[in-house]
Amino acid sequence: MSFDGADSARGAGPALTLAVDIGGTFTDVALADIATGQVWRAKTPSRPDDPSEAFLTGLRLALRAAGAVPGDLRQVLHGTTVATNMILEGKGARAALVTTRGFRHVLGIGRQDIPRAANLYNWIKPERPVPASRIVEVAERVLPGGVVTQPLDEDSVAAAAESLREMCVDAVAICLLHAFANPEHERRTAEILRAALPGIAVTASSDVLPVVREYERTLASVLNAIVMPGVTKYVGRIEDKLTAEGVPAPLLLMQSNGGVAGADKIRSAPALTALSGPAAGVVGARSVAAASGINDILTVDIGGTSADICLVSGGKIGLTQQGQVGDWPLPLPMVDMVTIGAGGGSIARVADGVLTVGPESAGATPGPAAYGRGGTEATVTDAHVVLGHLPARLLGGDMALDVVAARRALEDGVARPLGIAVEDAARGILAIADNKMVGALRVVSVERGFDPRDFTLLPFGGAGPLHGCALADLIGTRRVLIVPAPGILCADGLMAADLKSEFSRARPRAGVADMAEAERLCAELEADAAVWFDAEDVAEADRQTSRVALLRYAGQGNELAVPWADTVEALEAGFVAAHRALYGFELSAPIELVTLRVEARATMQALAPAVLAPGDPPVPVDHVPIALPSGRQTVPLFDRSTMKAGAIIEGPAIVSQLDTTTLITPGWTGTVQTSGALLLTKADT
Amino acid sequence: MTYAADMNTSADPICDPITLEIIQGAIQAAQSEMEALIERTAISAFIREKKDFYTAIFDRNGVMAVGSMVPIFGDITTPVFEHFPIEAMQDGDLYWYNDCYGSYGAVSHSNDQVLLAPVFHNGRRVAFVMSWAHFADIGGMRPGSISPDATEIWQEGIIIPPTKLIEAGAVNDAALAIFHRNSRFPAQSEGDMSALMASVRLGAQRMTEASDRFGAAVLEDALAQLLDRTRRLVRRKLAETFDYGTHRFTDAIDSDGHGNGPFHLRFAIIREKGPDGADRFIFDATETDDQAPGPVNLLMNRSIPGMALGLFYLGGEPGQVCNAGGPLALDEVRLREGSLVKPNWPAPLGMRGLTMMRVLATLNGLVNAAGGQAPAAQAAYVVALIRGSYTAEDGTATPFLLADGIGVGYGARAFADGMDAVYFVAQENYPIEFTELGYPVSFRTYGMVMDSGGPGAFRGGTGILREYEILADHAMLGIRIDGVENPPWGINGGKSGAPGRIVINPGMADERVLPPLSDGTMLKKGDVVRIETGGGGGYGHPFDRPAAKVLEDVLAGLVSNEAAAREYGVAVTGRQVDEAETARLRTARPVVKPFHRKEYLDVL
Repeated sequence: MSFDGADSARGAGPALTLAVDIGGTFTDVALADIATGQVWRAKTPSRPDDPSEAFLTGLRLALRAAGAVPGDLRQVLHGTTVATNMILEGKGARAALVTTRGFRHVLGIGRQDIPRAANLYNWIKPERPVPASRIVEVAERVLPGGVVTQPLDEDSVAAAAESLREMCVDAVAICLLHAFANPEHERRTAEILRAALPGIAVTASSDVLPVVREYERTLASVLNAIVMPGVTKYVGRIEDKLTAEGVPAPLLLMQSNGGVAGADKIRSAPALTALSGPAAGVVGARSVAAASGINDILTVDIGGTSADICLVSGGKIGLTQQGQVGDWPLPLPMVDMVTIGAGGGSIARVADGVLTVGPESAGATPGPAAYGRGGTEATVTDAHVVLGHLPARLLGGDMALDVVAARRALEDGVARPLGIAVEDAARGILAIADNKMVGALRVVSVERGFDPRDFTLLPFGGAGPLHGCALADLIGTRRVLIVPAPGILCADGLMAADLKSEFSRARPRAGVADMAEAERLCAELEADAAVWFDAEDVAEADRQTSRVALLRYAGQGNELAVPWADTVEALEAGFVAAHRALYGFELSAPIELVTLRVEARATMQALAPAVLAPGDPPVPVDHVPIALPSGRQTVPLFDRSTMKAGAIIEGPAIVSQLDTTTLITPGWTGTVQTSGALLLTKADT
Repeated sequence: MTYAADMNTSADPICDPITLEIIQGAIQAAQSEMEALIERTAISAFIREKKDFYTAIFDRNGVMAVGSMVPIFGDITTPVFEHFPIEAMQDGDLYWYNDCYGSYGAVSHSNDQVLLAPVFHNGRRVAFVMSWAHFADIGGMRPGSISPDATEIWQEGIIIPPTKLIEAGAVNDAALAIFHRNSRFPAQSEGDMSALMASVRLGAQRMTEASDRFGAAVLEDALAQLLDRTRRLVRRKLAETFDYGTHRFTDAIDSDGHGNGPFHLRFAIIREKGPDGADRFIFDATETDDQAPGPVNLLMNRSIPGMALGLFYLGGEPGQVCNAGGPLALDEVRLREGSLVKPNWPAPLGMRGLTMMRVLATLNGLVNAAGGQAPAAQAAYVVALIRGSYTAEDGTATPFLLADGIGVGYGARAFADGMDAVYFVAQENYPIEFTELGYPVSFRTYGMVMDSGGPGAFRGGTGILREYEILADHAMLGIRIDGVENPPWGINGGKSGAPGRIVINPGMADERVLPPLSDGTMLKKGDVVRIETGGGGGYGHPFDRPAAKVLEDVLAGLVSNEAAAREYGVAVTGRQVDEAETARLRTARPVVKPFHRKEYLDVL
């Protein structure tokens, strides 16, 4: 693989990068000429039965648009939610679990809690991805620090293999006690099972999530196991199609951590993609904002059923290990974001005089009432239609919006039960949806010690730019950036992503930092990273690694990530400062170093920035009525594609483009940037 | 209590329904943020790993508006107001107590520390916020401060009457120093208190911001409306379940650990028409047995029955997510002084958790006996206290306290099996690896107990099996299990759950079964402690359970082949159901009665 774009041995034409993002309804494709920054886009209906078909269709469409041939491709980047969907829909492989004798029910017990937000009278413990009837035990025991008290009984592993064969499973997870400190028994068990059960995917917990706490580690390995056959098949099918098509470039896939990795890495640890869906958009947002000189952003990705909210400070995207997929905690490194059940399709209902919005969604079918596909319940999109925020005929689209149906849905579902006007009902629905998003915006900013007013709000996704001004008003932010293509930012994000992987190791026992030991562990992790760089074919000069230390006060259950420092004193000082900033106090308790992490990355060659030429002020293509709190008003409607750099638009106004609609409310002014982005600012009042 | 006087009953509310929903979201967010801070920063395993902490937000008069989803909060604020007049409170004040009798059972054992702060906005008091956590050790007769051996509350640690911990920003460090000095683990005490104080500070800040955003008057009206909404809903549902007249149900705890018992909880709900023609709902526990010499007394705050019933009725109601308002649904709560649920000072209270669990089951029984559909009874969660000392690597003797909360089976419901192996809301286990890293024990097994869930069309939840090997030089064991003599009842044909038990050195020459509520058992290095916790009651006739579900339970190790045939009439051979034999077994369908505890009964 080439990272400098100069290797043109394989194709005669320009070096091209292809990015394919498969969504629920459409597959978006972007093809870029790295040297010139020129981008060609294509859109094709997704094929849930065989997503690789839409992949191939999109690839051909984009190549045709660019007048290029498959041999010109240098990189193929792809974001997939195959793993996520298999977990959420319970459609993973039939799998089994192998565990330490005496501990078969660890997975079923979980943390023995009724969740804090659940009602103890009606909560039902979720069914585990692997039922206890398919959990088999092997005789072995490792104690803290990796001390073996009972060697692995290989006969018991052979017996387990026999049981697994009878269970007709496609995948097996192995999680043995204290394997994070000593993985030998897991490795040997995996070897025996792989030999005895050819063709069956085997996952060892120490390869997926080598950290303390058996339930969470078991779950991570089980989730990895159930998605492994499906992801392997899927990735293989795409690789086959690329080869058949004559594409010489390697396939890189988006991970939950916001970076990409090669297909081989994903095949062995597919759970790394389980939270990758929203990651690409954030990476894209960061890169497009940087092109406008903005590095502190709050992103809001509003889709049909949910909104993903994330903070980027100084161009840095935070990572967390407190992710969740459906009912399951999945503590693998992921972009630190908050997802809430509020999107364009969220349904508004009145029960007992209370108006609620979401988390139920009308989804793509039947969809909002305004889409005329049979939906009758009021949604957030219908509220926008009623208020005139969405032009009745979407620009360039074939789909007309059914204003009457939207109005009827709001009238019947919300306005009449509450005894209020239909416009007030619409504004109420939007206010509730906006406030849910504000709650999440506060979580990623205020709760993490950032002041949202220091950030630029970057709304994207098809519905994002309709909410930008309202959200900014609520959190006190005076700048909103509407990127050139908010509806298809994920494809851009794929092209902006680094090749990335984390390597971490918990110390056998936490305690005061021992710099000699830390140095040795970091060196081991860096050696692991070097092996990975080799596998990904990264040139020596392009390799970057950074060390992170995870510390806590002795006794605490959560660690804080602190950048590396060479002395115990400096590490501890960094921790105390972070603790004070985050929680508002410090303790005199001893500080423990728990885990070391090496973050490895290789930056891809950046796309040359797009430059929008200056030109005449834009002319409205139409004037449309919208309902403002102050009353009905006719406002100009602009076509985004006609706007030139330097153009200024005063709110209220609506800006329409193929993939989204932007609502500029009174008091906000939009200025078109040379980068093509539209920067909305609010004057001091 | 003066709830009714505080209610906003004006016809023209200041807060519209849309703002109300927004405010509810903002307040719940503030509450979760307070909880997250405690979880991330607390030091003791009991708080940050087991997560024994809660938070709540109250209106300007101290009536709880949003709380954690547990039915164990009493009226938190009144005890403080009795010592510190509400009108004299200032911005920056922080109040603290753990005094059970001084708070009328708002806290019900002394380990639970309550911090309460008034919130001001532009000089006007707009709300109160609270953080609460169980402190691992506050002195008392044994490490952990609670022991089945206690006979007076003074043996259960230091008692803090309502105290002003911070006065307008100035911390009373002397009070804190006295408190921490009384703990066997002062570093944990200090760290946990710092976390709790930071959490309250954060909550107060968030409520001030909410006042800025919505306006104090709107916020106050919103809190009043939230309370009123829940109250109306719970009263409507109470009326659906309980016809006019008196409805009774009786359940019992086994023992107090001092040779006394059983102790009966005799509860009644009376529905009558008041002088104004409106319904009156009265909870009456006056016929409950006398208080116990041992520490199983539950000083039950008057709010508890309404809060538990409220939580039950709110289950499954979308949009009804704050658990406050339930206590206001009952017009009167009658308790008898000197009874198990209103003991007289200085009766010990430390092990009241088992009585609390039985109170919840008795309330379920009241609903069921009146024709409602509440779950069958759950077992009372189990606590094992292992304390002693071990020789550290440097040769010094190091004291330790392992207070291990162990889950049980919950009662089956008309729509689902009971929860297997669950402790309580928001209370987590000590993972095996965590425990082995931090304490001188290793585990031989951790699993679910076969045949512990009460048979039924919906099976009762299973209990937990946890077997420790002691690695310390010596240790003393205290244990709390209930429902051994009186296991959790089943309903509508469902059978009772299996009782729990504790065995020392099972299968060895010196095997012995311990009294289920006992302390002072000495263990030495190499001893094995096997704890089996109880299962929940079943719901519906066991023969109506689909054979495929019985098979799954057999393959999962939750039901034995013998019990499948005997209790469910399902024959399992290998990994299959023997259809013909099952059909034959199921022709002999037992006759059932409404309740079951060891045998079918018409009334418990």
